[in-house]
Amino acid sequence: MDLLSVRNLSVDLGNFSLKDISFGVPEGSYCCLLGASGAGKSVLLETIIGAFRPKQGKVYLRGTDVTAWPPERRRLGIVYQDYMLFPHLDVRGNIAFGLKGQGLTTDKIDPRVMKISRQLDIEDLLERDIATLSGGEQQRVALARALVTEPEILLLDEAFSALDVNTRERLRTMMARVVREIGITVLHVTHDREDVWALATHVAVINDGEMLQHGTPEDLFRRPRPGHVASIMGAGNIISGEVVSETGADLGIVLANGIRLYSSENLTMGSDVTLSIRPEDIMVARDESVISARNRIPVTLSEIKRRGPLTWLTGRSGDLELIAMVTSSGYESLETSPGDMCFFIFKASSLCLIEENFQKIVLASNFS
Amino acid sequence: MSNRIFKAALGGVTVLFSGLLIWAILSLILMPEVSEFVESTLSEEMLYSIRLSLFTSLISVALVMVLAVSIGFVLARFTFPGHNLLRTIVDLPMAFPELVLGLCLLLLFGHAPFGKWLQSMGVNVVFSKYSIVVAQVFTAAPYAIRVVYGTFRGISPRYEMVARSLGCGLLGSFLRVSVPMAKGGLFAAAVIAFARCMGCFGTVLILAGGTRMYTETLPITLYLNISYGNLAMAMSSGIILIFISLGAIIVFEVLNQEVVL
Repeated sequence: MDLLSVRNLSVDLGNFSLKDISFGVPEGSYCCLLGASGAGKSVLLETIIGAFRPKQGKVYLRGTDVTAWPPERRRLGIVYQDYMLFPHLDVRGNIAFGLKGQGLTTDKIDPRVMKISRQLDIEDLLERDIATLSGGEQQRVALARALVTEPEILLLDEAFSALDVNTRERLRTMMARVVREIGITVLHVTHDREDVWALATHVAVINDGEMLQHGTPEDLFRRPRPGHVASIMGAGNIISGEVVSETGADLGIVLANGIRLYSSENLTMGSDVTLSIRPEDIMVARDESVISARNRIPVTLSEIKRRGPLTWLTGRSGDLELIAMVTSSGYESLETSPGDMCFFIFKASSLCLIEENFQKIVLASNFS
Repeated sequence: MSNRIFKAALGGVTVLFSGLLIWAILSLILMPEVSEFVESTLSEEMLYSIRLSLFTSLISVALVMVLAVSIGFVLARFTFPGHNLLRTIVDLPMAFPELVLGLCLLLLFGHAPFGKWLQSMGVNVVFSKYSIVVAQVFTAAPYAIRVVYGTFRGISPRYEMVARSLGCGLLGSFLRVSVPMAKGGLFAAAVIAFARCMGCFGTVLILAGGTRMYTETLPITLYLNISYGNLAMAMSSGIILIFISLGAIIVFEVLNQEVVL
């Protein structure tokens, strides 16, 4: 059974609404709720915690309907992007806040505060005024404050977004360790897919108040639904075509924009299919014979974008446009420029089936 | 060039107005002899007036703050039908001339069923010392509510949500998070309310009657003495009111900066 389960949840806030959201978070999992700004991630999180009353639908915790429960009864810890540390309390006061509210005495509170502070490496900060802390320190204090009360689920609302890249990466590493040590279930709202790759065991994608897809990161990485999910997961290449040779002893063949593409997916003859190939799975070569992969597409390079150590190459073959990602040093060794001919080469196993006959297929290990 | 003229024009208006204001205040402060001021201030009437003003104002501020914190928090945190209407209603006394507000209160506590009900319970508000407090509360509350409302609005409700996620009820999060965080704004509201109570004239005059040595607060002392032609007493009460207001404004500015920063 899922630890947290949301069923047909609709929330109307006047200028924004959540529409019929359903998903679940299994116990012990780290679920990332991924979406762009304004997608409704935070509204969903705050509805789960009890800040908003849904128009319809239910929120279940361990199978119990908690939709009408006040936030204090739900036992959900929350950490916001902007920390929300209480400015009138020092670090120790902030961390001990929930325990004091439970009526515990100092001799019970202090060891728990020390333990969580040690786990988050903030034991030296306990007597500090929160105004003197850096962003990363404040975020660790906020995490300690939420974790020390041992909530059922830890909710993170863009918890790492306000931090610089290095601090964010350190916090991700620390978060992964702490979650492993404590064994807590986490629901992490984010717009950064790096959080998904670094931490998530499950991921759900939300856009414009609607849940688009959920599953394991691998599911959404390999088989994102076309459109927003593919875009936010960085899928890069979504290809539509018709199966002209179904998968049997040999690979299936899809005819897309006049190009024959081989796929090891289970394809049915005559069906219309949507496939994805990730840019990093495409190799680029001047000579097709150097790499022994089944798909070798001759393309004309139309655009080259260099971004530090990585380079994105856009190639066109008739109406088919593909994007490949290579290392910048690899690109330099190709000695190509826009207008040049080269080959985009990828394995049949890299071409993943997303939709067949325009009917949604079950992509993910359905964890709801 | 046009920028310089514009800046000079703005600066000129600012200097002219603030200069005239300071001149007006100084002309009152510097007018009486020091001995005259001391004698007037230590007179029985003035001491009674100062005591009554301070006593009623402190009671009124306590009542105003209860109202301001309650209504300010309701307006800042809850959405409900009639929210904007409530805001307008509590702001109304600010727009009223004090005399009109006093007349409204006179009717409410005198002839209206509410006033008659109070009288039947043995509470006679009109023309009594109670009425000074009533007048001060209704005059000062809108200002305090504004400041408290602004203060609570400036505090993210997510602080309270964090507190509630940590096990606090609504009351617990209010007392342990909202009120301590709003401390500066609440003090500022109390200071403003105190200044308004001390200076409340029109409403007190209509509702309490302005009776010498009975419902005589500092502004009433000024009014009565200027009516009798006793300029020294009038000026002394005016100077005391100026110093009280000045102190209140300084405290308000310091606390308000604390809130904003």
